[in-house]
Amino acid sequence: MKPVAGIGLRAPHLAEIAHDKPAAAFLEIHAENYLSASPTSQAVEKLRCDYIFSIHAVGLSLGAAEGVDEAHLARVAALTGRLQPAYVSDHLSWSVTGGRYLNDLLPLPYTEEALDAVVRNVDLLQERLGRQVAIENPSCYLGFAHSTMSEPEFLSELARRSGCGLLIDANNIHVTAHNLRLDPRAWLALPADAITQYHLAGHAVNDAGGEPILIDDHGSRVADAVWTLFGELVRRFGARPTLIEWDTDVPALAVLLDEAQRADAILSAASHAARAA
Amino acid sequence: MPLALPDLQAAFAAHIVGDDRADLVASVVGDSIPAAARLRVYRHHVFHSLATALSTTFPTVQALVGDEFFRAMARAFVAGTLPTHPVLSEYGAGFASFVEGYAPAGGLPYLADMARLDWALNVAFHSPAAPRLGAADLAAVPAEQLPAKSVSLAPGAAVVRSVYPIDRIWAAAQPGASGETVELASGGARLLALRRADDAGFVTLSTGEAGFLEALAAGQSLEDAATAALSAEPAFDLSTTFSRLLASQIFAAMQ
Repeated sequence: MKPVAGIGLRAPHLAEIAHDKPAAAFLEIHAENYLSASPTSQAVEKLRCDYIFSIHAVGLSLGAAEGVDEAHLARVAALTGRLQPAYVSDHLSWSVTGGRYLNDLLPLPYTEEALDAVVRNVDLLQERLGRQVAIENPSCYLGFAHSTMSEPEFLSELARRSGCGLLIDANNIHVTAHNLRLDPRAWLALPADAITQYHLAGHAVNDAGGEPILIDDHGSRVADAVWTLFGELVRRFGARPTLIEWDTDVPALAVLLDEAQRADAILSAASHAARAA
Repeated sequence: MPLALPDLQAAFAAHIVGDDRADLVASVVGDSIPAAARLRVYRHHVFHSLATALSTTFPTVQALVGDEFFRAMARAFVAGTLPTHPVLSEYGAGFASFVEGYAPAGGLPYLADMARLDWALNVAFHSPAAPRLGAADLAAVPAEQLPAKSVSLAPGAAVVRSVYPIDRIWAAAQPGASGETVELASGGARLLALRRADDAGFVTLSTGEAGFLEALAAGQSLEDAATAALSAEPAFDLSTTFSRLLASQIFAAMQ
């Protein structure tokens, strides 16, 4: 069967992937790592003939009140032109204020004011790239007291107003729901039509003053509870291109491909069930 | 009155770098994990991830001082100098100057120069492997016109000078190195960091060659650059040097 799950292309695997060309539905790269003309960027661009690409940006800071950095946007647009990816995405979060980047996917208050800012920034991004982009639900460690919407309500409104796609990360739902004492099933109310991709990754359990807090570190296999939630999402919304992410303590490529196969099994079971119905 | 989005984001950034903001803490929902502890998760990640980025860009500095010392030094740098763009490989232009003034590193006087070399190699690595000037390009120029020509260096190529033998210290700090003892007083180094086909590296230069390349990088003609080199190194020979540098793929174009 042709795989429908893709894997994150990380530097330690680059030579092996270029040599062995293992089957994967697509390769995902972080835009910010491949904007220069380094030998690594050149090696990745050579894989364009063999693989479908997904460009996942982490630095567009689409929730920034001060707007999108035009110079950075131009570089991401140029990379998009060179790689011709099937998918482009970034997060529902912000990183920059006063021109200083905090290198993190920081949380937004879910208010009309923040929604206006994100819609404005996503509109600009989609206009510059001339295509739809997908926005990913973040993993959160805090919520704001003045939020007037839930995260699924905010994402639904964002998709409706901007026409963007939604990239739903099952691990991020699990992490956020645990940390903010929410019900992960609240995300099942998202609009199925807007969902264009899924992400899966591992998380760590840390201690916050004696209380467990889940950290989205992309440093292990996908947790059992997240596989279960992923199954529920797929049954509810249908199969979509799905990515296995692994960014810290990157394992052997075979481990990543094994996780992708497990995602494939869930996605194809859902497709068969949908056809039978 | 909740903080407006621009104020909330400014307060968040100030809080992250250590300026505790009560107005921000009050706007965060706390429970058995208090608001301040929740904000600390982000503070930790920002410092940790930027220190990790610096360790990737300055691997030789990290190898020389060890991970713990490096992280403490990197965190001190991060607190005063957040990135101004989201590309991590472009973060750390001011790190060498910071290292120079970082008192706990005072016992390693060559450390700042090593940071300069790491930075130069990083810049070279991310520079394009643009077409290089070759012997055939040179042959096309009438000999009598050569002295007045200027030559640009390959993108990302830079001369790094130190009064310490940083080339040998660099080699001794590489993974798998034999642990050779380098005598600090054994003389300085002049290095040219440059992008090669599949990586970045450096070549060692004589005093005259370094002066020659710095003059060319400043836009001087071949004749003026050779004069500068001769005053730095009386034995400097233009044609020998030029052939060697040409073979090292150092030049981008002749104007």
